[in-house]
Amino acid sequence: MRPLFVTWEYPPYKAGGIAAHCEDLATTLADQGHEPVVLTYGDEQETEYRDGVEIHRVPSTDSADNTLSWSMHLGHQMEKKAVNLAKNNNFDLVHAHDWMAVPGATGIKKTLGLPMVFTVHSTQKGRDGIEGQYQETIHNLEWYGTYEAEEVITVGREFSEEVKHNYNVPEEKVNYIPNGVDLEKFDNHTNQLNYNDYALDWEQIVLFVGRMYPQKGPGHLIEAMPQIIEEKPEAKFVMCGSGATEHYKGIAKEVAGEKVHFPGYVSDQELLSLMKSAEMTVAPSVYEPFGIVPLEAAACQTATVGSYTGGMKDTIIHEYTGLHTYPADPNSIKNQVTRALEDPGWTDWMGDKARERVEDNFRWEQISAWTTGIYSDALE
Amino acid sequence: MRIAYLVKNFTDGDDLSEYVKSLAEYAASQGHDPCVISFDDGSNYTVSDNVEVERFQLHFDGDSLYTWAMMMNNEMKAKVVEKMKDEEIDIIHANDWTTAPGAVNLSNHLEIPLFLTIHSTENQRGFQGQNSQLISDLEWEGTFEADTVFANNEDVKNSLLFDLDLTDEKVCVADPLHDGWQERILNRYREIIGKEEEVEVEV
Repeated sequence: MRPLFVTWEYPPYKAGGIAAHCEDLATTLADQGHEPVVLTYGDEQETEYRDGVEIHRVPSTDSADNTLSWSMHLGHQMEKKAVNLAKNNNFDLVHAHDWMAVPGATGIKKTLGLPMVFTVHSTQKGRDGIEGQYQETIHNLEWYGTYEAEEVITVGREFSEEVKHNYNVPEEKVNYIPNGVDLEKFDNHTNQLNYNDYALDWEQIVLFVGRMYPQKGPGHLIEAMPQIIEEKPEAKFVMCGSGATEHYKGIAKEVAGEKVHFPGYVSDQELLSLMKSAEMTVAPSVYEPFGIVPLEAAACQTATVGSYTGGMKDTIIHEYTGLHTYPADPNSIKNQVTRALEDPGWTDWMGDKARERVEDNFRWEQISAWTTGIYSDALE
Repeated sequence: MRIAYLVKNFTDGDDLSEYVKSLAEYAASQGHDPCVISFDDGSNYTVSDNVEVERFQLHFDGDSLYTWAMMMNNEMKAKVVEKMKDEEIDIIHANDWTTAPGAVNLSNHLEIPLFLTIHSTENQRGFQGQNSQLISDLEWEGTFEADTVFANNEDVKNSLLFDLDLTDEKVCVADPLHDGWQERILNRYREIIGKEEEVEVEV
């Protein structure tokens, strides 16, 4: 099969999880004998062949008033590119990833007469709400994507219900396929962490990884820090991620002082080392359609303490692969982090079980096979 | 010739609509096969029976005319591709920036000539609205890709030459206030398509 991926981000450009998702899925599809083509944003027109995947980048504009207009312009440029590419070798279908890909993907669908598959990674309603006209237009685009797609893929079981409800999508059109992890990437990585860059020898790293926005809940973890430190002084919080870092750093330093560290930019390799060295990761998200952090931690044999919300209801099994907390509840975070620190042997055991579960349920080979099944349905 | 006229909406009394109506009716009277394709805003229109009109729905509310128009173009493309399945279309004739992006991609995909009428440029309108630069970019792209650009009058032509850097040969003034403007346009069609002999313009 020759699917055309439409995504605004693809490595090395990445802002969120969509880039990694698309790369892992496209690479695995190529490994399985398919011919995925990726159409994405770039500073200039360029074509690249990497890991069996044909990648075409098209530039957008610096003149857009906002991200919506920017994505409309990018969509038009992507469609132009797709029309030219199709002259030599047409595609079987177009696969859009999130709302920013909807203008381009629907244009390609209409012009080239292709079936469309739409993966919804999160919703505007869940991210920021739909109060203003701008937010409402993004919500409309998400609806339009689900309406135009022959098949809709969601990355979380509970999230599927949210998508069906938000956009009135028929039950039979929505398919739940979880995200996955590339275990080889984790297994081939050598842990070269200089532990003392982050914590003292006797301290245990409690790791937060994610964009520093309210949706990811860093504030709730920070609120829990003083009580955790009081009960378990060995706790050392390491907060990695972009976003409103300075804002959260200011608050955290006030309540936790030297017991919290914001390392700033951390390379992918260093992050893997941190995940492997941490006692646990904490994912205090308030809204999380899937949540890749518990799976990446699991691949590193590290347990996660995460909110009982969205995808983390599936990716964490309480007291088996990690611990659940009530969402947006600092006291609940305190209780579960303290439990995990209290019994490191048990926490390590949960890390081992998390790894086993990832091996059994969240491999890209499996996810790719499910995806091609959805492609076949879209082509019928 | 089967000509697809693309216009944002098609309604009695609207400048662009009246222009397209007049041109399409004239083309039909000359034995051609015009089809007007536009967004269905629910308003009334009257047109000769020889002109086919296809209007389409759009279930999308944008935060600006620009975002709305970009998504409207998607539905427009679907309609043209659908019409193409019934019978070959020889020419695409778009009107203003609102139909330019779809027209460019359709012309490229279907490999048929593109004509674009610019009724006014963003520069002429003051370049002050939301997304003015993007709109002007679409005007530039449409005029760049078109085989011939029709200007409604000399002022529009001047703006095309000086603001959008078009060459004089590419611009044809077809002023609806002067007799023979429709024939001038049809002559350009014939010239580009090379199918029929040029007919004298009577001014």
